[in-house]
Amino acid sequence: MADNDLITIPGLWNFQYNYFAGATASRFFNALRHEARIYGTQCAKCGRVLVPARSFCDACFVETQGWIHTGPGGVLEIFTIVATQFPGLPPPPFVIGYVTLDGADTAILNRVEGVDLGDIDVAAKKLMARVRVTAKFSDERQGRITDFVFVPQSPP
Amino acid sequence: MPRCFVHGAGLRMGWADMQFSLPELIYQAVSAALEDSRRHIGEIDSVVLSAHDLVDGRSLSSMVTAPAAGAYLKEEIRLAEDGLAAVSLGSAQIEAGEAELSIVAAWGRASEGDHEHTSRAMLDPFMLQPFALDELSISSLRLSEWIARHGECRESRQRAVAARAGRAGRNSRSVQANVRPRVEFPLHASEAPRFADVAAAVILGRQESPVCITGVGHSAESGELGSRKLGAMRALREAVSRGLAASRTTIEQMHLLQLPGPTVPDEALALEVLDLAAPGEAFEMYASLAHINPSGGGESGWCFPTVGLLNFIECYLQLTGQAGDVQLADRQRAMALGVSPAGAQIAHAVVLEAA
Amino acid sequence: MSRAVAIAGVGQTKYLRRHAELSGAELVRQAVLRALRDADIDLDAIGLIVGGVAPDALAGVNHIDLSSIVRPGTPYFRVNTGGATGSSALLAATSWLRAGRCDAALVVALERMGHATTSQKVFNSIFDPIYEKDISLSTISMVAMRATMLMQEQGFTVDHWAGLAAKNSKSAQLNDTLDRPRLFTAADVLASPILAWPIHALEACPMSEGACVAVLMAQPLVGKRKVAWIQGAAGLTDTYAMGDRMRRPQGSLVDLHTLIRSAEKAYSQAGITRPAEQIDCVEIQAPFASAEAMAYLALRLCEARSGPRFADTLIAGTARVAVNPSGGPQAANPVSATALIRIAECALQVRGMAGLRQQDGIRRAVATGQGGATQFSTCVVLGSERP
Repeated sequence: MADNDLITIPGLWNFQYNYFAGATASRFFNALRHEARIYGTQCAKCGRVLVPARSFCDACFVETQGWIHTGPGGVLEIFTIVATQFPGLPPPPFVIGYVTLDGADTAILNRVEGVDLGDIDVAAKKLMARVRVTAKFSDERQGRITDFVFVPQSPP
Repeated sequence: MPRCFVHGAGLRMGWADMQFSLPELIYQAVSAALEDSRRHIGEIDSVVLSAHDLVDGRSLSSMVTAPAAGAYLKEEIRLAEDGLAAVSLGSAQIEAGEAELSIVAAWGRASEGDHEHTSRAMLDPFMLQPFALDELSISSLRLSEWIARHGECRESRQRAVAARAGRAGRNSRSVQANVRPRVEFPLHASEAPRFADVAAAVILGRQESPVCITGVGHSAESGELGSRKLGAMRALREAVSRGLAASRTTIEQMHLLQLPGPTVPDEALALEVLDLAAPGEAFEMYASLAHINPSGGGESGWCFPTVGLLNFIECYLQLTGQAGDVQLADRQRAMALGVSPAGAQIAHAVVLEAA
Repeated sequence: MSRAVAIAGVGQTKYLRRHAELSGAELVRQAVLRALRDADIDLDAIGLIVGGVAPDALAGVNHIDLSSIVRPGTPYFRVNTGGATGSSALLAATSWLRAGRCDAALVVALERMGHATTSQKVFNSIFDPIYEKDISLSTISMVAMRATMLMQEQGFTVDHWAGLAAKNSKSAQLNDTLDRPRLFTAADVLASPILAWPIHALEACPMSEGACVAVLMAQPLVGKRKVAWIQGAAGLTDTYAMGDRMRRPQGSLVDLHTLIRSAEKAYSQAGITRPAEQIDCVEIQAPFASAEAMAYLALRLCEARSGPRFADTLIAGTARVAVNPSGGPQAANPVSATALIRIAECALQVRGMAGLRQQDGIRRAVATGQGGATQFSTCVVLGSERP
C-alpha cells in the first residue's frame, strides 16, 4: 500500500499523578526550604549515612535512624555536560553530577553551576579531577530538590 | 516434584496516607510478611513482583520499588500482570529447584494515580478509544448481556450488594474510604468496587509449612473485544478447571473461593460460569453462599494489579485460622483467582490446601 | 529436579524506525511464525507464552500485549524489567519449563516505539519522581556520567568510545534484520555533536521497533533438532540510587555488580571456570560503547585494569572472542526486545545459523541484559552441549 494511504492517528498521553513523598522525604524537603540544609539518615546495621534521607536502608532492609546534617561541601564524583536540547528538558549546556557531601556515604544528584562551558572538552577535563563543590541555596526556596545547586569551591 | 509452601503474608491496605511514599508502603508489607514467616531477608533467594508502570506513574516502576520489596542483590523478576501470576511464577521457581525461599509482592496505589484515563488507554486507539470505554465499561457490557437473557433482577442484585457490603464490613482488612470508579448503566454505583492503596506480600518456600500450593491454572481469551462472549468468561473457566485438574480436586471440595470481580455482577456471574449457580441464579447464590468472597471481594478494596494476590492472602489467612471476623469454619481447601484488565482477558487460578 | 531447556527456534522481524504497514499483532505474528518454523513445532504444542513489553509510554497503548501477543486458551503473563525485559521473560519461561508445567514455551518481545515521537522524555520518567525528576536526569546523561568515571578510574579515552562504536557499525553491515545500518568511522563519531559529554551523537542508537520470538523446549521434546542449550542463567537487581553505588565495598558505580554476580552464577551452572578461553561469542546489551566496556570486566573477558587494552584488541579485530557480531544494540535497540535479541543472536551463532554474520567455531555464547540505570542485569550462557 502506498504511504499516502496508510493511516496514522495522533495521540497524547497526559495522565495526572500525585506522588506522596511520605513523612521522611517531606522532612528532607522542608529542611531544604526552611533551614537551607541537606539531611541524611543512618542505617543502624551498616552505618551508612544515606542522602537524600530515606526511612529504610534497602541494602540491609532495616529502618534508618537519626537525622544528620551533611555538607554543604562535598566531592563531585561524576558528572556530565548536557550539550544537546532534548524535547521536554531544559536548554543546554548545563552540568549535572553526583556529589558525596561531607558526612554522607551516598552521593546526591544536582546541577553544577558556575562552570565556564565555553569549551566543553576543556570544562570536562577540569571537572574530571573530582573537584570539591559546595551546595548553594537560592533565596527563593520551594522545598524541592532544585532549591540548591552545587558550585565549585575554587573556580575551575 | 518439590511442592511449594506458604510461610507468611503481609498486607498494607489503606487510602491516601500521606505519611508514606509508595516504596515505604511496599517495604512495610514485605517486612511484615518476613516477620510473619519468622524468616530473615538474608535467607531469601528470589523476588517475584507484580506492578504496572501506569498504575505507579513511573516508567520503569520497579527501579525504585524493587529494592523496597527486598530485591537488593537478589534474583528478581517483575511482571506487569495480576499478582497471582507472580505467585504462580514464584512457585514454579521453587518447584524447579531454583529457589528455596522467595518473596512475592504486588502493589498499586489507586489514590496516586489516574485509573479512568490509564484504563481507557488500553483500548484500541482506532476502534474503541473514541467511545471512552474503560475497564468498568466492559463490566457493564457483560452485565447487559446477562440482563438480556434474565432481566434486570434488581432485588436479587441488591441482595448480592448487601451481602458483599456486609462481608466487607466485618473484614478488618477492608479499606475504610469510600472512593469508587464511575460506572455506567446497567451497573449501579453500589455494585462498583472500592479503590484502595495496596501493598501485599507473601513468602513462599520449599520447606514444609501448614499451607501448600497444590495446583495452578492459567488461560486467556482473544484481544478482540468484539469477538469475546463476555458472559462465558472463558479464560476464568479454563484457568479454574486447569487448576483443579492440577490439584486433583473439584470445585465442590473448595471451602473458600476468592473471585476477582471487580464489580458485584462480575463476581456473581462467575458462579454461573463455574456451575455453582444455575443460569439466572447468580445473584441469589452469591448472597447465600457464605464461602464465596467472605472477605467482601471488591468492596473490601480493589486496585490492579494486586487483586489476585489479595485473594491468595485471604485464602492463606482462612486456611490458617487468622481471618478474624470473616473466618469460615471449614478450612481445608481454597482457591484464589486473579485476572487481567480488559474484562478478565487473562485469568489465573491457584489452589491452596491446609496440611 | 530440573530438566534441561533449549532454544529450538528464533524469529525476528526487521528492526525499523517505523513499521507503518503493520499492527503490533501483525509484527508479533511475523516473528512467531518464523520462530515456529525454525523450531519445527506447531502453535498447538505451546504451553505458555511469556510476553515482554517494557515502557508502555513508548507504544502509547496501555497493555499493548493484550491485543498483540495473547493467544486464546494459552497461559500467559507479561514481564517488564525495562531494558532487561527480553531476557527476564526468557528466564521466567525457563523456570516454568524446568518445573515441568509444559514442554514448550514462546517468549515474545514486542517493541512499538515507532508510535512515539520522542523517547527521551519517556526515559526521563523512569527516575524517582520524589527526589530526581526535577533535575532532568535522562538515560543519556546517566550513561555519560558512568563514562566519565571509567575515564577517571580505568584509563579509557574518548577514542575508545569512538572506536568501539565504529566496530559495532561495521559488524552491523552483515545483519539482515537491520535496514540500511549506518556505517561510520571513529573519526566520524568524534566529529558528531556532543549529546552529553563524553557521548557523541553517532554513538546513540536509532529508535527502532519490531518483534523477537524464541521457542523454548524442554529436553524430552527436543529430539533431533539443532538447538542451543541454556547452560546457565541468572538475573540480579541492584539498589536504585546511583548515588548509593558510587563507591561501596562491593565495587564502584562502574563495576556493574549485578552483572558480575549474574555471570558468576551462570558460569557456575555452565561449568565455566576460564571465561576468556571458554567463551567464543558474546552479545552485550549496552546501547553505548562505555556501557559495553563495563561488561568486558564484569564477564571476566579480561583482567581488572586491562579493559582499555582489551578494547584495543576489539577495535583492531584481533580479539579471540567475537563481541557483538550482530552489531549489538548500537545498531538497533528496540527496548522491549533488545535483551532477547542478544540471546537470539547467540542462539543462532551456537546453532551455526547466523548467515553472513556467522562466526567460526562458536560452541559457547553469552548474552547479557541490562535494565534501568544498569540496575537489573541478566546473564545467559548458551552452548551446543546439553547440560
